[in-house]
Amino acid sequence: MITLAAQRKLVNQIALAMSLMAMAFGLFWLIWILWTTLDLGLAGLSANLFTKMTPPPGASDGGLLNAIVGSTILVGSATLLGTPIGVFAGIYLAEFGQRTWLGSATRFINDLLLSAPSIVIGLFVYAIYVAQIGKFSALSGVVALALIVIPVVVRTTENMLKLVPNSLREAAYALGAPTWVVVMRVTLRASAAGVITGILLAVARIAGETAPLLFTALSNQFWSLNMNEPMANLPVTIFKFAMSPFKDWQELAWAGVFLITMGVLGLNILARVVFREKHKL
Amino acid sequence: MSLTSVSTASSAKRESRRQIGDVIFFNLSRAFAVLTLLMLAGIIVSLFIGAWPSIERFGFEFLWSKEWNPPMERFGAAIPIYGTVVTSIIALIIAVPVSFGIALFLTELSPVWLRRPLGTAIELLAAIPSIVYGMWGLIIFAPIFSSHIQPFLTQTIGHFPLIGALFQGTPIGIGILAAGIILAIMIIPFISAVMRDVFEVTPTMIKESAYGLGCTTWEVVWNVVLPYTRAGVIGGIMLGLGRALGETMAVTFVIGNSNFLSSASLYEPGNSITSVLANEFSEATPGLYTASLIELGLILFLITLAVLVFSKILLLRLSRQDGTKS
Amino acid sequence: MIEEKILPISEMTTVLKPQIQFRNFDFYYGKFHALKNINLEIYERKITSFIGPSGCGKSTLLRTINRMYDLYPEQYSTGELLLDGQNILARGVDLNSLRAKVGMVFQKPTPFPMSIYDNIAFGVKLHERLSRTDMEERVEWALKKAALWEEVKDKLQQSGMSLSGGQQQRLCIARGVAVKPEVLLLDEPTSALDPISTTRIEELIIELRKEFTIAIVTHNMQQAARISDYTAYMYLGEMIEFGESEQLFIKPKMKATEDYITGRFG
Repeated sequence: MITLAAQRKLVNQIALAMSLMAMAFGLFWLIWILWTTLDLGLAGLSANLFTKMTPPPGASDGGLLNAIVGSTILVGSATLLGTPIGVFAGIYLAEFGQRTWLGSATRFINDLLLSAPSIVIGLFVYAIYVAQIGKFSALSGVVALALIVIPVVVRTTENMLKLVPNSLREAAYALGAPTWVVVMRVTLRASAAGVITGILLAVARIAGETAPLLFTALSNQFWSLNMNEPMANLPVTIFKFAMSPFKDWQELAWAGVFLITMGVLGLNILARVVFREKHKL
Repeated sequence: MSLTSVSTASSAKRESRRQIGDVIFFNLSRAFAVLTLLMLAGIIVSLFIGAWPSIERFGFEFLWSKEWNPPMERFGAAIPIYGTVVTSIIALIIAVPVSFGIALFLTELSPVWLRRPLGTAIELLAAIPSIVYGMWGLIIFAPIFSSHIQPFLTQTIGHFPLIGALFQGTPIGIGILAAGIILAIMIIPFISAVMRDVFEVTPTMIKESAYGLGCTTWEVVWNVVLPYTRAGVIGGIMLGLGRALGETMAVTFVIGNSNFLSSASLYEPGNSITSVLANEFSEATPGLYTASLIELGLILFLITLAVLVFSKILLLRLSRQDGTKS
Repeated sequence: MIEEKILPISEMTTVLKPQIQFRNFDFYYGKFHALKNINLEIYERKITSFIGPSGCGKSTLLRTINRMYDLYPEQYSTGELLLDGQNILARGVDLNSLRAKVGMVFQKPTPFPMSIYDNIAFGVKLHERLSRTDMEERVEWALKKAALWEEVKDKLQQSGMSLSGGQQQRLCIARGVAVKPEVLLLDEPTSALDPISTTRIEELIIELRKEFTIAIVTHNMQQAARISDYTAYMYLGEMIEFGESEQLFIKPKMKATEDYITGRFG
């Protein structure tokens, strides 16, 4: 019979070996995925990508220009629309609604929205907007993406404002400053880096979102800047091209995936840098 | 009031302007908070209205009817609900132990100089858009899965009693199992990042007390750290489950998009709620077809809400238990 | 005490059996030399207290006796540290069984997130296979040793975290005692407690001396004087003076010790 001590050691070693294997297992897939994206994505990179429109099936000299521009417009407008709403709602939660009924309810609902499936957000915008107007449009896509931005910004704004020490607030009030000046000029500024980090992370999140655009902005094979018409965008284009049997389309899809992945990773790294800079001060 | 009455006229004016500023500011920020609040109600109400023709026509039968027949206008949600639930369960079965192992590695085993880079890598991977996972799953993973992994599974687990039936059938790569695996790979970074965070905040002194009794590393983590952080761990798992249930792209590419299930095998192509929506919605005819799809979305939303609310209640009860003083 | 004093010298020395011996012992946090050439004996079934200003290395010294520092790769030691004549710094020493022989209690109570009963039984289960009734007896024994039994006997299944601070600390002492160690290390065990709880723990420590060798780090000189048989004064990683507490506090040999205990320090 093995001794208790030997048995415990064995269990420990097995467990630690499995932990090591779990780490290797996780990294294995993730490195493989990243490597594929790099490998096939870089192969698809060319000047055409940024100068030519998405091609019809079978044509070999297309690019992603309309999709890249479309995505930029959609993501940019959604951020502009969603950020102020999110920041103000976050200010309410942190500065006024700490212990009010409305504050706790909003906080709870915001947590739920944060984890709501993005495809449901798309359906929601379809139901209240697209179905009423009767057609898919870039604007509805912007609304859908903005609805995803809001909860993220609310959460980070509130958390960051709560980190501001009360002594700072009191010092500003002691000077006789009204609340809105205290918040806008003192507390919000003190937590600016954190709030900006949150906004960057929200942008990164919507940059790769596909599902909410499927029923709103749809996509567009052609160049269009009309906000009331379907607009080309990277995620939906990738979805369409990747599912297709055409080799040229698949190559473009990989190039698109590469662009999105790099963009999202870049935004995340930028967010980290911004946040760390602040903590240095 | 007495202050204003003794003030000069100009300062009284400034005083009132300041109050107006504050009132506007307060109401503006409150309005946006209310807007957030209304969004949830708005989503549920609008989806309910959109789904009404289908709810009216099929009633509760919608939930368990397996038929999905657009030309005949007969719709049932059983297949997509099954696909959503089963792929998420597969994802959790794989992702939870792996994430726990990764968190254990990052907090207790890894050399100190490796902890930060590996931890950052995990966090960055959680940010990769799901469409990347889906596309990779379809084009790279599925062929290898059908040629190597599925035959292996059939020959090994396939012979087990009871669960063996799940691993039978033609290995075609894409299907429910493949979707579950891709989901697992996608949520591993989420769950392990949360687990690592909560493991890290376990007070050193508690851990040292356990080591001081003669515990091995594993015993410290399993008996002390895990119970100590259970609320956070459950929160992380629920976050992952929420992701898995509502994920569209990672699933749509690889689940096979079939509205028929002929056996219990996980190799079967199927459909999840999200994949049905992604594939069929923009081409659906208005009327009953669209309404049925919206009802699917409503069901999905209610499932994820239920999971989230359930986990919140669980966390609340856990924290109350720990806080009780005799 | 009077009885001890009339014992002949030869008998005194047989009673005083060194259980822990530091020999030319040095300790480093990375490049920082935290303990310098320590030579010291801790006697069996005596209370030895370590005093000195913060940062003097007294806690560090305590944490070497169960090799807690092994958790941190950048910390290491040189020299010899004997427990029952065996060098515990040697290669191949089994840390788990070493720590079964050397229990430790920390500055703050550290109940595990489990029931009172399981808090005690947990450590025992690590080292012994006991039947259910034997385990129940052991838990009761340990809780009685820690003078906690009467307070918790009706709520053994409640969470250990539901107890008051003083009770939690006694629970932690019981947890350490239950493993039946030879040595108990107490690292400022009363620093987070109120005066009444502190008095109870001090009485308990004196009681525990009958069965265990006790090394205690304290920032409180009165406490060291009240409860310990021997006292070591440390300063900047060096052992300045070691001796019987009565002597060290009343008539220190070293000027530095005198300055510290009379408050003329620095």
